[in-house]
Amino acid sequence: MIFTPEELAQIRAQAEAQYPAECCGVLLVRAGAQADRVLLPCRNIQAELHAKDPERHPRDSRTAYFIDPKDLLAIGRREGQGYGVAVIYHSHIDAGAYFSATDKRNALINGEPAYPEAVYVVLSVVGGKVVDARAFVWDGTTRDFVTAEAAHP
Amino acid sequence: MSVQVYIPTPFRRATNNKDRVSVDAQNVKSLLDELEKHFDGLRGLVRNERGEVHDHVNIYVNNEGIEALQGLETALKDGDEVSIIPALAGGTGERRQGGHRPLPN
Repeated sequence: MIFTPEELAQIRAQAEAQYPAECCGVLLVRAGAQADRVLLPCRNIQAELHAKDPERHPRDSRTAYFIDPKDLLAIGRREGQGYGVAVIYHSHIDAGAYFSATDKRNALINGEPAYPEAVYVVLSVVGGKVVDARAFVWDGTTRDFVTAEAAHP
Repeated sequence: MSVQVYIPTPFRRATNNKDRVSVDAQNVKSLLDELEKHFDGLRGLVRNERGEVHDHVNIYVNNEGIEALQGLETALKDGDEVSIIPALAGGTGERRQGGHRPLPN
């Protein structure tokens, strides 16, 4: 299980409400006898970055997401409380639920996955409705992101 | 003066998995110098070869991003908490249609 039905409903609502902008967020999980889960919908500030400096940020929020640094700080604080980033999700607007070259490039730091244990979920939102979603994970064998079911054990 | 530095998951491979480090530094620049001195793997992860913080890295002193303060010259005082957090970003990129399938749950 990647998301509970309640989490998935919340993410779907977020993705549709924010159409035609890409939505984004993370699921934080703290391991324990009863796993503690916190869904953190984040703010996509790509439109603001684009408006401020279109040369440096040529894409707007319809084709890109950039999580608000304030949300990153909140994620960091949760990590400090023992939570881990279990899922990172975002939507693609009027496009498929694939892990794009941009997604891959941004998920790596110096060629290594920033969050090697995290599942990346991409939702496809077409005409304002979520029509598809796929999960991707880092595969250390092929050193690439692959669909969750294709990952080497 | 001692400053607490929060190291997020993506950078912990460079800090022997330490998530918090205590550093004596007068400002953010000297803090990064000290960190890189102790953790060689951090070199290049946070700053480029010109010593500038990478676009995809955000540094906060307490709750404030250093770009809203004095950048690398931001002064530090005893008990400050510094967080170094890489961006989370991505997007459609090149257009390609995918098939439809049930949502994962």
